[in-house]
Amino acid sequence: MSDYQSDKSEQDSGRGVSRRDTFRWLGTGGSVVAASAILAACSSAATSSAAGGVGTFPTTPKWKFVFVNHVTTNSFFVPTKNGLADASAMLGLPTPQWTGSETGSVSEMVSAFDAAIDGNAAGIAIPLTDNAAFVDPTKRAFSKGIPVIAYNATAPNNYPLTYVGQDLYQSGVLMGQKIATSVTSGTILVGISQPGGNNVQPRLDGLTAALKTAAPGVTVQSVNTGAAQADELNAITAAFSGKPDAKGLYAVDAGSTASIAQLITSKGIAGQIHAGGFDTLTDTINGVKSGALDFTIDQSAYLQGFLPVLYLYMYKLSGSLVSPPSTDTGLTFVTKSNVSLYASANSRFEGGTSNALLNTPNPIALPPASTVTL
Amino acid sequence: MTESATARRSGPPRDGQPARGPRLQGPGGTLLRGVIQLKELSILVVTIAAAIYFSVTTTTFNSADNYHTIAQYFIPWAIVAAGEVFLLICGEIDLSAGFTYTLAPFILNSFYNGGVPLFLALILAVLCCTLIGVFNGIIHTRFKLPSFIVTLGMLFLLEGISLLMSGGSPQTAPATGWVVTVFGKAHWAELIWALIIVALMQIVLSTTKFGIYTQATGGNSIGASEAGIKVNRVKIICFALCSTLAGFGGIIDGLRLGSFDPTNGGPNTMFLAVAAAVIGGTALLGGSGTVVGALIGAVLLGIVYDGFNLAGISANAFDLTLGIAILVAMLLNFGLTNLRRWASR
Repeated sequence: MSDYQSDKSEQDSGRGVSRRDTFRWLGTGGSVVAASAILAACSSAATSSAAGGVGTFPTTPKWKFVFVNHVTTNSFFVPTKNGLADASAMLGLPTPQWTGSETGSVSEMVSAFDAAIDGNAAGIAIPLTDNAAFVDPTKRAFSKGIPVIAYNATAPNNYPLTYVGQDLYQSGVLMGQKIATSVTSGTILVGISQPGGNNVQPRLDGLTAALKTAAPGVTVQSVNTGAAQADELNAITAAFSGKPDAKGLYAVDAGSTASIAQLITSKGIAGQIHAGGFDTLTDTINGVKSGALDFTIDQSAYLQGFLPVLYLYMYKLSGSLVSPPSTDTGLTFVTKSNVSLYASANSRFEGGTSNALLNTPNPIALPPASTVTL
Repeated sequence: MTESATARRSGPPRDGQPARGPRLQGPGGTLLRGVIQLKELSILVVTIAAAIYFSVTTTTFNSADNYHTIAQYFIPWAIVAAGEVFLLICGEIDLSAGFTYTLAPFILNSFYNGGVPLFLALILAVLCCTLIGVFNGIIHTRFKLPSFIVTLGMLFLLEGISLLMSGGSPQTAPATGWVVTVFGKAHWAELIWALIIVALMQIVLSTTKFGIYTQATGGNSIGASEAGIKVNRVKIICFALCSTLAGFGGIIDGLRLGSFDPTNGGPNTMFLAVAAAVIGGTALLGGSGTVVGALIGAVLLGIVYDGFNLAGISANAFDLTLGIAILVAMLLNFGLTNLRRWASR
């Protein structure tokens, strides 16, 4: 290495700089600028929209909303991106910007949030993955007349206009009650990608609490699976090898659930062990279809993109008269009885590419009884 | 070899050393030569070009608020890069700096929650980070393990400690008191700290014996030790400097955010810091580089990050552009080196 370095130091000690250098260096800037111009052009071409008001609504400016996200490239949010694109197209708006962090970095999210405020975004949607960091930017946005909505994750003592996403604790409770119908004693393993994370820990808490009342004989052993899917499979496999008499394999996040489906399928133990989890990744849906998983829970990632755009639009259109409602994007148990649509449709609503019209089931299966108290 | 390392510094050649390459004559020529010899000039031109581009194409680029946002982006990279530059010049790298950055706020919190006054807790946390660097350096020099491997191990170790100390979830940062104001919360505090750090580190690198030893160590380790430089000690100090700055950067960024988060920092921050250093003219294999150059490299990355957000470019396209920008800058750097060799024949 030192040979190379001494050779290099010879090169470096030459001080001559010709016009060619200068042009080359100017070329660096030129290339960066050109690349960005091309990208900007692509982006504006992709977001051109219809003129005039939609339906009976008055003509509006081309409001460009910004979605800040904690894991911008995660496949879970593909339906969310479809949803926000569909809603804005329907309303004649440019496609909202999708930005934030790839790795969950709150600092990067705050910077993206601030850049959106500086750029006078028409409205901002953000998952509140941190309790403290987003309070000041939210206040700053409101002081500049920019509405802010939370989606996918929310936090206490923050000030979004509303939250559009799953009620996470409640989803854990319902999952716990579902598990209690099939497992009443012994240990179950529950995979969690990020213990303590605002978007998964409440599910585990809800699940544990529900089992305590519904099936007190069941012991919950959590498995920290990490965020990368290959590692999740390893973590689940190792945990199951260490606890082969486990009565059930469950998970509270998308990746761990898919890993459980893979594990059960590859070991050929479908039907011999109870299993289930969250979200609708391809492996998970195939797992439900083959019987490896008893169920998975669909939280409608699509609506988490579609509804914030609609809400921000209505809020601005009505001068704040139509205040966005807090919306639980729900909890649909996907089981063998209704999985076929998920598995075959390749629908935009679940992250696929097809926007073909899907037929309404006939007859429609009876939903759970309403629980409202009057 | 130390002489040749000294000669590589920007500025006119010292007395008694042969000047290489075509020479510009006269007082104007001296000034021009001085400017051209500034390693930072080329990257500065690129940075200004990027700023002009975004000023023209977006309406809100030039506002105090947006300058503040740009600063938020690049400050962590600039601070971590200030330390990495010393290591890179030594021919080493600290991959764990990103997680030192992540871990430091949790160390601070554990002292603070244990009843230690905040300022003292901050000092102790930064000192703990210094020890991480000393440890990296000692393992590297004693056992002759490549720094890449040593700090790769340390990277995972520190990530694990961060997760354990934080429980995997964000912790609320101390929010009141003069320490919080001075170390992050005041509007431009973080930027002022970054500029102070860069200025100090550049002065250390350019004007002190230690700075020259560092460059000599990276330029030719064997030659440097034969010339009487305690190469291992230089390296250990550089590792310590890098960890110290990374930890301090993590703390002031956490105090600014009001939240200590185990997902902040990490390899992303470290790689962007190294990218900033290399874009700013620091050689990956050692021997040359400047802290100011790394700062300008970080500013360029910050402008690109912020500018694309203002322009409404979505996340996936952004990485593409970042990649292109770094590759083009590196190719030009390589071309320039060849050109200098050609010119100095």
